Amino acid sequence: MFAHVFRYRFKCLIRDKQLVFWTLLFPILLATFFYLAFMNLNDDETFHPIDAAVVVSGHNQYDAPFKSALNSVSKGKKRLFNMKAASNQEEAAEWLKQGKIDGYYTSGKTIKLTVKESGFNQSIMTTFADQYRSSNSAVMQIASDHPEALQNGLLNDVGNRQNYVKEISGGSAEPNNILNYFYSLIAMACLYGSFWGMKEVSDIQANITDRAARVNMAPVHKLKAFIAGSSAALVILYTEILILLTYLRLGLNISFGPRTGYVLLTALVGSVLGLSFGAFISALIKKGGGLKVAILMVVTMVGSFLSGMMFLDMKYIIAEYLPPLVWLNPVNLLTDAFYALYYYDSLNRYALNVGAMLLFIVLFSAATYLIVRRRKYASL
Amino acid sequence: MPVFKLCLKIFLHNWISVSIYIVIFLAISIALATNGTSELSNGYSQKKAKVAFISEEKTPLTEAFRHELSRSAQFVNLPDRTEELQDALFFRQVTYILRIPKGFTDSVLNGGSAQMKKTVVPGSIQNAYVDINVDQYWNLARLYAKHEPGISQEELAERLQENLSGETPVQIKAHQSAKTSGSFSLYYFNYFAYALSAVLIMGISTIMIVFNKQDLSRRHRCSPLSAGSVNAQLIMANLLFAAIAWVILIAFDFLLDTGSYSTQNIIYFLINSLVFTGCMTSMSYLIGTLMKNLEAMSAVCNVITLGPCFISGVFVPQEFLNDTVLKLASFTPTYWYVQANAHIAKLTQFGWSDLSSIIYSMTVVIAFAVAFAALSLVIGKRKRLMD
Repeated sequence: MFAHVFRYRFKCLIRDKQLVFWTLLFPILLATFFYLAFMNLNDDETFHPIDAAVVVSGHNQYDAPFKSALNSVSKGKKRLFNMKAASNQEEAAEWLKQGKIDGYYTSGKTIKLTVKESGFNQSIMTTFADQYRSSNSAVMQIASDHPEALQNGLLNDVGNRQNYVKEISGGSAEPNNILNYFYSLIAMACLYGSFWGMKEVSDIQANITDRAARVNMAPVHKLKAFIAGSSAALVILYTEILILLTYLRLGLNISFGPRTGYVLLTALVGSVLGLSFGAFISALIKKGGGLKVAILMVVTMVGSFLSGMMFLDMKYIIAEYLPPLVWLNPVNLLTDAFYALYYYDSLNRYALNVGAMLLFIVLFSAATYLIVRRRKYASL
Repeated sequence: MPVFKLCLKIFLHNWISVSIYIVIFLAISIALATNGTSELSNGYSQKKAKVAFISEEKTPLTEAFRHELSRSAQFVNLPDRTEELQDALFFRQVTYILRIPKGFTDSVLNGGSAQMKKTVVPGSIQNAYVDINVDQYWNLARLYAKHEPGISQEELAERLQENLSGETPVQIKAHQSAKTSGSFSLYYFNYFAYALSAVLIMGISTIMIVFNKQDLSRRHRCSPLSAGSVNAQLIMANLLFAAIAWVILIAFDFLLDTGSYSTQNIIYFLINSLVFTGCMTSMSYLIGTLMKNLEAMSAVCNVITLGPCFISGVFVPQEFLNDTVLKLASFTPTYWYVQANAHIAKLTQFGWSDLSSIIYSMTVVIAFAVAFAALSLVIGKRKRLMD
């Protein structure tokens, strides 16, 4: 009997084209839009050698050392500048105006910088000039205090710079913040799965749909019919989420970290969470199909917003200022579980998230059961 | 005008779903536009990188270093726990986590090779910027330690402060920039594209779908109203709806951005948005002609409004988009609308040559409008003949 109900519920559900659109095609389309819009988003925080120019003063005692200092940082892969020599002020100013360079130095007794806006590139240029000046003044200071230092290779030591910082990675994964958009998108898709749960509960309450009235006539235990139906819904939803995950991983090259098994488990927990949430809302609200849909939509969209789907910083802001909300927002739990899997080496935070989701699932399912059970209809 | 009146009734019936869009739009666009608005400053100011500074030793030199670094860094206080540091880096609350290990100062002063540790957003510009400042400080310290042996840390710190003080004179050659560039209005008018297309497609397509119901359209055809009159009334009602939506959305810009509306730029923003409204009206009319039921419409409405907004630079500015994406986007009117807005925001002179690119963009949008309208009239006629 279970298999029979399962098969027919499956057929019945999969023919709901609208639901298939919202739970499968819409997330895929949205993911594609995200990808197209966000793939270059971090480009402006990446360092590229700065286009700069220098105008010489004509006094060789000032020009030569500065030019050689500039040349030393304009070579090789890790260079700071793409240096151009301008023949005069006007030419450099023209380049600046056309946006060919970010700024130009004018060498001389004091080195001057001309730019057209304040940005990090311009700040780096200023810092370089500061560095040149402070090195000079340190050398003069030392030479006047200890003239013998000049014989001891002071000038050599100035040029011989050492690196005093070493990069160590914070964890095994790169802090690629674009990923959070996709994680919250998967969470949204799971929560859209609540529509399947809603449909399941509506189709078991004889006073709500005709189909439910027919099902209630059959000599099948209500719980059995409900579980068979819900299993069909879960199979559909989980398959949809897997298709979405596959598309993200293989189609759009979104990274989920190395722990694939856990990612699949998270998707499963997320699907069950979505279904049970929909079932709960549907059982709780007696009438008004429109109202049910509206509540599911609002909870999903607001939840997604708070977990950073439209505005990335939102997730951090909530964690900083409203910590309880982190644990009450199912979309955030799911987003954070994917995030923790990708970004942290330890599984502690992941386990906490999954635990909280399981708690929600138990809560929603128990409430649904208590509301829906033993309801008899004298007449319809 | 019975058709016109009926349209108004349908609009009034649906006002809640339309106003939900308007409220959501206002909330989002105000939040994002406020966030995106950049301060216009006239002078030059040195940028500061967001740095978390963790020191495992406290020597006079590290203290002086911290003080010196504050000229180019804004320190963010974070608890020294791996996951919280990682979180802050992921969400760019800091871009550079600097850790000074125990014994670092001594090692530098004795010519050792100890290094500080940094965790950064790999390859970022702020990383390069902080590195220069950090290395310069300790390189000079090394120089002093080597050539002035016996110098105390306090003396050394003082010398370094002296050497590092002073500023490079920076001249800023800004070309006169418009009041509206980077302003709230620019962002607002861009987000306007999203809200307006959502509201118009919802409202207008709803009406068209009602009118295209077979029974209703047959009933219309046997009434003593000519097809031309029915169409004219329909179009009038739709235009009225579009005009009201436009006025409401524009009104909020005037309420929220008091700085821009005395500028001449705002007039061009208004003209541009009006042209776009016309185009969206005719697109909604086309969608309404093609669609058969309301449920499918909400799916189409979402895809058609969100898609172009993502790839045309409404949600993410055009300069961040890939060239291929932009090429694709140029097949949508939204792209040209956003492009015109960007030009308008930067206008400081209003001569023919300054305006030509804006007029070009607007012409493209108008061409889209005409094409949509023509297409929907042809399809409508065909449908009537097939019926």
